[in-house]
Amino acid sequence: MIKVNNLVKVFSGRGKPVRAVDNVSTQVSKGEVVVIIGPSGSGKSTFLRCLNGLEAFDDGQVIIDGVDLGDSKTNINTVRREVGMVFQHFNLFPHKTVLENVTLAQRVVRRRKPAEAEDKAMALLTKVGIAEKAHEYPSRLSGGQQQRVAIARALAMDPKVMLFDEPTSALDPEMVGEVLDVMQQLAREGMTMAVVTHEMGFAREVAHRVMFMDAGKILEDAPPMVFFTAPKEPRAQTFLKQVL
Amino acid sequence: MPLNRHPTQWPWHGLLALILLSLAAGLWVATKRVNYEWRWERVPQYFFYQAEDAQSAPVAGTITQIRPDGARSRVDITPANGAQAVSVTVETDTLKVKVGETVTEDSDIGALRQWKIGPLTWGLWVTIWISFVSGFIGLFIGLITGLCRLSPNPTLRGLAVFYIELIRGTPLLVQIFIFYFFIGTVLNLDRIVAGIGALALFVGAYTAEIIRAGIQSIAKGQSEAARSLGMTAAQTMTHIVLPQALKRVLPPLAGQFINLIKDSSLVSVIAITDLTKSGREIITSSFATFEIWFTVALLYLVVTSLLSQLLFWLERRFARSD
Ligand SMILES: Nc1ncnc2c1ncn2[C@@H]1O[C@H](COP(=O)(O)OP(=O)(O)OP(=O)(O)O)[C@@H](O)[C@H]1O
Ligand SMILES: [Mg+2]
Repeated sequence: MIKVNNLVKVFSGRGKPVRAVDNVSTQVSKGEVVVIIGPSGSGKSTFLRCLNGLEAFDDGQVIIDGVDLGDSKTNINTVRREVGMVFQHFNLFPHKTVLENVTLAQRVVRRRKPAEAEDKAMALLTKVGIAEKAHEYPSRLSGGQQQRVAIARALAMDPKVMLFDEPTSALDPEMVGEVLDVMQQLAREGMTMAVVTHEMGFAREVAHRVMFMDAGKILEDAPPMVFFTAPKEPRAQTFLKQVL
Repeated sequence: MPLNRHPTQWPWHGLLALILLSLAAGLWVATKRVNYEWRWERVPQYFFYQAEDAQSAPVAGTITQIRPDGARSRVDITPANGAQAVSVTVETDTLKVKVGETVTEDSDIGALRQWKIGPLTWGLWVTIWISFVSGFIGLFIGLITGLCRLSPNPTLRGLAVFYIELIRGTPLLVQIFIFYFFIGTVLNLDRIVAGIGALALFVGAYTAEIIRAGIQSIAKGQSEAARSLGMTAAQTMTHIVLPQALKRVLPPLAGQFINLIKDSSLVSVIAITDLTKSGREIITSSFATFEIWFTVALLYLVVTSLLSQLLFWLERRFARSD
């Protein structure tokens, strides 16, 4: 489903250039849940953002469901509607109600009829347990509720892949569970997912594979059982000692 | 003791009233010293006045009947050759003929009074519509320029910067002259069109900067969220970024528009009869210089404060979602 070959992303701002993603190759097959962990600044977000073209990469190849993102003939917008993304800070549209947040892209991108889009939206809001807030504005919702709306918004496009960038990091501890539950349910339904998170419990229980990133490279890639009990890389060992 | 004590306010309000009153008194004394005679009663006629329109007989003949019709009278004139009577309506108190009298064609029968719009009202109207039209065009120019200013295309960006700097770096009065005497002559423009064009270009440059700042103030996460849903750059702009940005820049935009109403007084230099020009013209015939300028100032003040109120109301309505 996701195929990455020798991906390189360099940030060359002031000072010396940063190789945020440094020659990464990996694959994620259909229905697989991959959790990416690593220290701050290791390039996890940048890697994830390369997967839906939010970040233009410098070298290598990203292929989503057979479509090469680097190909000049590829329309990036048609790829993005197949790849849902959930952000750390939710990024809901504050001037639209919860329902409008979930229907807008369905109508303007997927060109669905208003009634169809609304039915779909209500079904998804019910699924994430927040249907009764459909006509509220996002600012009236708690962080956990906002994040669940954001997940519903991404799911409304019927994506083939879902990317999560630290979806629970901005939440109060008591709200983390409700969001993780929704993600766990998604995983059980067979969604292909790439999740950057610091929730090791989630990684252990839900992930099929755990990747450890540091300095733009994937240093370790193993099933959670193996990774958490016997990490091979010294840096992964140190990292695990710090977070567990 | 409550923490939030309300200090007594009324002495300060009293002081304010006192200062304002002494300002007014000073003004009065000042005008006394130059022996100015106030003639406020002359001002209302420049808003509305009653014009008398003389009515004359359309045919020669005899007055056969005068019927009252409210404050007016209908005068029937029967021509000598016995044809159908013709009737003329005039105000009863201006009636100059009696029943049985013979009149020649075009002779005076009386007058009709009508309320007419005076030059101050007319000038105010010109000021308002010129400001409105140029503000509307300016908003459009500003929106386009603001978007160009943020475009990744260097040509569009360069043009936008050039235009904005050109307008912001030169006085409006000079722009109006150039627009009227140069562009207006080359393109053979009417003075009104030239005036509106100059004002629109002027306000457009400032609006562009306001809109650019508004767009840049919207968090990057908003457009990233929209793009990650597959929206195009244009869809993201129209559905996500611009609505939020416009709401945010409504106060400075309205301020800009209020400035425009005041700045529009400069078009009087190319002989457009706006409120300021009307005031100047009235003074040459009325000799009520002080009264007219005070009235003109008051009219501008009324329009701008009405607009501020409208803005206040709009802002409260838009505050719904936050
Ligand atoms: N827009 C940018 N411009 C310049 N440098 C950037 C930019 N975004 C990220 N970087 C740099 O790239 C590197 C990787 O950043 P990235 O955000 O991907 O890390 P991360 O693993 O997601 O960290 P965190 O856990 O803190 O979110 C960092 O060194 C960061 O400073
Ligand atoms: Mg990150």
